[in-house]
Amino acid sequence: MLQSLVHVCLAGISAGMFIWLVASGLTLVFGVLRVLNFAHGSFYMLGAYLCFAVLKAMGGNFWLGLLLGPLVVSMVGYVMERYLLRLVYHLELPYQLLLTFAMVLIFDDLVKMIWGAGSIGSPAVPGLSGSVSIAGREFPVYNLFIIAVGPLVALGLYGLLEKTWWGRIVRASASDREMALSIGVNVPLLYSGVFMFGAWLSAVGGALAVPYVGLLTTGMGEAIIISAFIVVVIGGLGSLKGAFLGSLIVGLLSSFGTRFMPMLDMFLTFGLMAAVLLWRPQGFFAEG
Amino acid sequence: MDQHETTRRDFLKAGLVTAAATALGSGIVKPVGLWAATPNIKGPIKIGYLTVLSGTLAGYGEFHKMGALMGVEEINAAGGIAGNKVELEIRDSTLAAPACIQNARYFVDSWGADFLAGVDSSGQALALAPVVGELDRVLMVTHAATEKLTEDEVFKKGIKQVFRICTPTYQDGNAAAFVAKDLPVNTWATINPKYEYGYTTWNMFKDTLGKLKPGVKFTAESWAPFGTTDFRPHINTIMDAKPEGLYSVVWAGELITLVKQAKQAGLFDKIKHVMFPVGAAMDVLEGLGPEMPDNIWISGRYFFLYPDSDRNKEFVARFHKRWNHYPAYVSETAYSTMYAFKKAVEAAGSKETGKVVDALAGMELDSPAGHRVFRKEDHQAMYEVPWGLTKADPKYPFKIMGKQIVIPAKEFFNRPPFEGPGTHPPFKDSK
Repeated sequence: MLQSLVHVCLAGISAGMFIWLVASGLTLVFGVLRVLNFAHGSFYMLGAYLCFAVLKAMGGNFWLGLLLGPLVVSMVGYVMERYLLRLVYHLELPYQLLLTFAMVLIFDDLVKMIWGAGSIGSPAVPGLSGSVSIAGREFPVYNLFIIAVGPLVALGLYGLLEKTWWGRIVRASASDREMALSIGVNVPLLYSGVFMFGAWLSAVGGALAVPYVGLLTTGMGEAIIISAFIVVVIGGLGSLKGAFLGSLIVGLLSSFGTRFMPMLDMFLTFGLMAAVLLWRPQGFFAEG
Repeated sequence: MDQHETTRRDFLKAGLVTAAATALGSGIVKPVGLWAATPNIKGPIKIGYLTVLSGTLAGYGEFHKMGALMGVEEINAAGGIAGNKVELEIRDSTLAAPACIQNARYFVDSWGADFLAGVDSSGQALALAPVVGELDRVLMVTHAATEKLTEDEVFKKGIKQVFRICTPTYQDGNAAAFVAKDLPVNTWATINPKYEYGYTTWNMFKDTLGKLKPGVKFTAESWAPFGTTDFRPHINTIMDAKPEGLYSVVWAGELITLVKQAKQAGLFDKIKHVMFPVGAAMDVLEGLGPEMPDNIWISGRYFFLYPDSDRNKEFVARFHKRWNHYPAYVSETAYSTMYAFKKAVEAAGSKETGKVVDALAGMELDSPAGHRVFRKEDHQAMYEVPWGLTKADPKYPFKIMGKQIVIPAKEFFNRPPFEGPGTHPPFKDSK
């Protein structure tokens, strides 16, 4: 029983960390740009495919893929923000959703044209491919690595936003765009920067998922973006703390649900979201 | 869009070849006389194909497309169906029933389809069956496997327009049980899809194996929703139960993920007997490559190395040359569907639904997968697909089916009227 509990927890936490990498960028972009980006999951997919492409081209070096793939994706993010999203900032939310949803379809088809529609199996990461015995059952080293990466990203984000000059500007622009403009902050540039950073985070998540899921498929972005949206709703739109805790909750809930309440596992997550929407629609950690 | 160009080019090619073949009076092409005998067929013959071309399973749609296109190309190059050119249009029907129904209606009402084919999910097939009855077009199902389609919709409700060319869940449930009865396993568990296909196969496996080997126990079930990318919680459930055997019809990319994650968790070291009824799918074998463990029981709806016939070898060679892939099972079923339509229309001398239904019911078809017979009562194609153990082969960069077991279709296909004694295996008349 103890063994089972330990492994259910570990599985839940590692799953939650992937959602966190996507949800963090989603909520950050919303907090600053006030754009709910449906195509955020596409960055996750692009991150995975580009990491894989670099990995293939460079003779199997995953770390190089992890470094370069997300960088390319943040450039894609720049183009999307600069030349598309900027056209709809002043329009109502449904227009933004329509545009970003269209981008999901376009990115999916692009990936299909470049890499084909089939599933691509991906190799394990040298050095992190083995398993260790935890409470008498094998657990992949790579998943432990993911469990470590999640909180590190959270700490890094916290430091960046709370302790640096850049972070102060970001927070100032998020809370009052007009004021930031009038004191001379280059808000459009800042928006591009934040959007690129969000895209980069999501792409890192996708690249890290390559060895974890062991598979690349078009549509992998849509699967994760739904979880990320739930997390952001639970945690509060725009709240990074909320996104982190929300990711952990959703990951663990789904893992425990599968093991102990198999007929309710999907209900638990959606039920929690519905409850949050009913009783605390702004989310647990929403500011103001 | 390029699809239209292809058909136009094919049309010209087909025209030339037809002219040439007619002049030569080749034995392969149906003689001119037949065309004259069937003046009521006014070409072209239009086939609307429904498959998934987007999302995580878009790869399946591509494999359908390769098979269907190649079949149509060959048929057109050899003179078409009773002298009429075949036109094929493929539409993305996703895996959701509404999209499938909408496309079927478009095909028939707007595009003028004579025939429908394809359909990937069991849920879609069950929802589409009554619509096809209403549209009054023949639908050849090439992938969706639920036995309820042929047993309930066709046999019980009498929707005679529906046919199925691929093996149904009998292959995954009943045939698996025949293989499992001879294994030294007394406790079975499953990680199965959390929808119709997963429930129906596991129930069938349990029922049939329970009869074949009384005393066998089924100790754990874990149901994975569609789109699962993390099977660890499910693997935990199974490893807690410590069964001797694992059965899973998880399919396509999800099976690749399941195998990799199960391997990391050491599942294959603890559970020696594992059965993947749709593990012999090309996307799974190619996707896993050498990572597929040895000695796993796998099967599918067709496996490119079976049967060892010239018809099959030639098909595989042509397919590989045309697409640089080995044919997936949906490629074979899509390809053979085109030939089934050809044979039925030419036998009926008409493309009218009623006449083609009569021709198809009970029809025999020589196909790459072997000799098929469309059973009269439920319109299900009867043929065999082997079960085998995975093993490496220097000729292929992926695992293939080693030791093969073929269970005769008549021993493990449920029999009409599908209710009451003597309709479910094991049958008294077989050994």
